[in-house]
Amino acid sequence: MMDLKFGGEHMYIILMYDIMMDKTGAKVQRNTFKICKRYLTHIQNSVFEGNLTELNLMKLKKELSEYIRKEQDSFIIFNSRDEKWLTKEFLGKEDDKTSNFF
Amino acid sequence: MGETFYIFQDGQLKRKDNNIVMSTLSGQKKNLKSEVTDEIYIFGEIETNSKLLNFLSQQKTTMHIFNYYGFYSGSFYPRESNVSGHLLVNQVKKYDNTEERVRIAKEMLKSAAHNIYRNLRYYNGRGTDVESAMKDIQRLIKRLDYCASIHELMGTEGNIRKIYYSTWNAIVKQDIRFEKRKKRPPDNLINSLLSFVNSLIYTTVLSEIYKTQLNPTISYLHEPGTKRFSLSLDIAEIFKPLIGERMIFSLLNKNQITEQDFEKESNYLYLKEAGKKKILIEYDQRLKRTLFHKGLGREVSYRYLIRLECYKLIKDIIDEKQYDGFKIWW
Repeated sequence: MMDLKFGGEHMYIILMYDIMMDKTGAKVQRNTFKICKRYLTHIQNSVFEGNLTELNLMKLKKELSEYIRKEQDSFIIFNSRDEKWLTKEFLGKEDDKTSNFF
Repeated sequence: MGETFYIFQDGQLKRKDNNIVMSTLSGQKKNLKSEVTDEIYIFGEIETNSKLLNFLSQQKTTMHIFNYYGFYSGSFYPRESNVSGHLLVNQVKKYDNTEERVRIAKEMLKSAAHNIYRNLRYYNGRGTDVESAMKDIQRLIKRLDYCASIHELMGTEGNIRKIYYSTWNAIVKQDIRFEKRKKRPPDNLINSLLSFVNSLIYTTVLSEIYKTQLNPTISYLHEPGTKRFSLSLDIAEIFKPLIGERMIFSLLNKNQITEQDFEKESNYLYLKEAGKKKILIEYDQRLKRTLFHKGLGREVSYRYLIRLECYKLIKDIIDEKQYDGFKIWW
């Protein structure tokens, strides 16, 4: 799968989650967080954003599925064809974490 | 296409949680999403370790390093993973066959010259009179056809560039005297800007070559030397007018870059950090700019045009289809 890093259609993703904080919750949260930040930019507590290829999204979902507990946790993935179809408005502090310049 | 990160701050670049993390002394952190990152440009002072380099290699991420003064130092070019012995053998064979080599080199130069011509035509239609330069270049393009050796080709190319540069004083609205391209060292603002932007294009081309099976050291127009990836220079030649020079004109004419962005004490040799950043933001946007490609029937970005150029070269090398260089068509 690695070799396909460069290919495929792009889409703009917003991912957010709710993880139930019971006995194993912390572990699920830790692991899923680590996975998400390899693919997307962490913009707010449980919200990620970024551009992914179809294939990368599949990879991300597959990796996540190993940890998500079907009955307790909920992940929502919003999917837009392109970032330009998305208007982003900041209320309060404006902080562009998605910038590629640091 | 993957993402590109540009790092200006000083600090550490490390592998953490199978991810790339940049952290500064003041405690700021930035995640460079390892799964989607293709390229990292380093302009600051970075501490790192082999653990990270191993990881970059695994992730096939190229890292380009620029020194304190903003000059290109080199790239961390991960182990080639797209290799093809068949292609390599043929790439060398094409190089060795003078007739074929001249044909490919000629096609590259013709494209480069055509793109230069189009830049002039653009400004000619907009109130800058460069008519006579256009005619001269047109004449030299025709002469390219009769060149029988790389030497002659390079000579003609030099002449084209000379005429081209002579028009820059008219094209650039800022009051900068630019007479001659000087590289070692660049002696005025435009020369410094050109050197910086060309090094960016060179690295972008290198990153795109990396994604194909081509060997970056075997080139046709430039002599394949040691210690450099000369195929990048070949292909960069074609895209310099479209990506680099157009950007320079626009940056200067909109006064986005002025003398204030350079260190005056260095005789405008060094760019200040803010200047570098402005150029890179603009450069990054230009690479992402898309246009409709007739042949492919879909939108492609400027960056992808570079990759397409590599693919066309491959097709020529394996004798599938004659190489037809990229010429601005819109």
